[in-house]
Amino acid sequence: MNDLLALFTEASPRPRNALLVLLALLVLAPLLIDRYLLSLMILVLYFAFVGQAWNIMMGLCGQLSLGHALYVGLGAYTAAALYQHFGLTPWLGMLAAVLVCVAMATLIGWLAFRFGIAGTYFALLTIAFAEFSRIGFDHFTWVGGSGGFFLKVVQQGTTDWLNLRGHPRMFYFLALALATGAFLLTAWLMRSRAGYYFRAIRDNEEAARAAGVDTFRYKMIAIQISAALTALAGVFFAFYYNNLFPEQIFNMGRSIEIILAPIIGGVGTLFGPVIGAALLTLLSEGLSELLQVLGIQAPGLKQILYGVALGLSIMFMPHGVWPGIARRFGLARDAKDAGK
Amino acid sequence: MTTLPLLDVAAVSKSFRGLRAVADASLQVRQGEVVALIGPNGAGKTTLFNLIAGTLAPDRGVVRFDGRDITGLRADQVCAAGIGRTFQIVKPFADMSVLDNVMVGGFRGNASPSVARERARTALAALRMDELRHRPAASLTLPDRKKLEVARALATQPRLLLLDEVMAGLRPTETDVMVRAFQRLNEEQSVTILLIEHVMRAVMALAQRVYVLHHGVIIAQGTPAEVTRDARVLESYLGAEAL
Repeated sequence: MNDLLALFTEASPRPRNALLVLLALLVLAPLLIDRYLLSLMILVLYFAFVGQAWNIMMGLCGQLSLGHALYVGLGAYTAAALYQHFGLTPWLGMLAAVLVCVAMATLIGWLAFRFGIAGTYFALLTIAFAEFSRIGFDHFTWVGGSGGFFLKVVQQGTTDWLNLRGHPRMFYFLALALATGAFLLTAWLMRSRAGYYFRAIRDNEEAARAAGVDTFRYKMIAIQISAALTALAGVFFAFYYNNLFPEQIFNMGRSIEIILAPIIGGVGTLFGPVIGAALLTLLSEGLSELLQVLGIQAPGLKQILYGVALGLSIMFMPHGVWPGIARRFGLARDAKDAGK
Repeated sequence: MTTLPLLDVAAVSKSFRGLRAVADASLQVRQGEVVALIGPNGAGKTTLFNLIAGTLAPDRGVVRFDGRDITGLRADQVCAAGIGRTFQIVKPFADMSVLDNVMVGGFRGNASPSVARERARTALAALRMDELRHRPAASLTLPDRKKLEVARALATQPRLLLLDEVMAGLRPTETDVMVRAFQRLNEEQSVTILLIEHVMRAVMALAQRVYVLHHGVIIAQGTPAEVTRDARVLESYLGAEAL
């Protein structure tokens, strides 16, 4: 807790104040923006959150997951099924979702880290688990199988926080809380022993071990934290969209979608996932608008342009957008620590 | 009065696919000593280090540290027991700053970042590399990376330091700085040191006793002066022409 407090007292005042202003603007935003913009902001916050969750495992600890849709799906189905079948509030559903996903992450982590499955082989293992969950849920009739699972929709005029039913504004605040929480958690982790150990494992596992790091344990902690956060994203997804299809939620494409924001923003950085999520949503919506204004109706053109933009971004900024911004505004870690 | 050696390596062996890298090697290091392990390339020195440090488990034999059997413990457990080691082929945490690299070691047995930072600063100061602390480790020269290896091991506050060719590639003046740093550590903080070294200048200046390893077998031991007069050592290591 003291460390969390230190984030605010030790950080140099300029960036800290800028962040507080940004947070205040985000809290007030729903009063000013229309439904369309609100839905875009929800997307940005959702991807900032889930990107941050992935970033803890890959960006900090160097364990590449290409199957994070697994935790989104498991979390979503767990909370949705408990709500639909037993009327359990999604807040308790979140707890159950976290437990299920952490258990799954523990199994995957144990298999991989105990038997030395690393690097690309580890990534393949994460894909495999996501894929067989997708196929498994296609045949899991208790939650609708491949036909989909639907939550009761209510009038959007009412806002029921207990059951997360109602106006998108509620989901906006929930997404904002999740993204802010994950941001603070990452900031705290990066300064803690675990954060140092994660990065040591990422950079050189053998040297980390020699320096006293129980690498198995800390890799497990990284994957468990990441899975727990992603489970919450799943619960959010289920209650926001109200319908779940195994073919969509566990889809490989979803796993890739999750990792785009941190990659474009800057893997392993605190701000990368946030900036990446904002840029990607802006890019995607901007392209739609542009094509509409130009009156071009070519199916797939938007996707091609989106892909080209991503490719160029990665070619010219392989470390993401954030490191350049940090240098430009003197926000690099080194400058911050210089006085100590 | 006889005291137990701090490190007692008793008849350890390790084979790789039938090749005996280390054969029944025994050595002892007493508290406060500086001991050197020398031998030609491929003699099995680094393998013996790996057997002590937990990177490899011996096929046979026992390693005791401070009276405790540490044979086959993992590297991080050996570190926790109080043995710090450096790697001959340096392994910096390339994307982290020098200070952060050393702080990883400073977290051994303590979770407080400020304590870890303090330990790291002390270790960096001991090696005269405090000025480099905000540089990314990837940007260091090889001699500085060697020093970084030492600083990271030191920050774990070891009772025994295993140094694997940390002077290789250093200029003589840098070697002297390193030698003095180790002398200070040994005298002021009573850190016991076991070092693999080819730079005889450093061995002569630092080591009170020397073990010579050849084809995985300890062929001689004694003071530096004794060992350099030993005929087998001269033949196998310093070269027959030195005779």
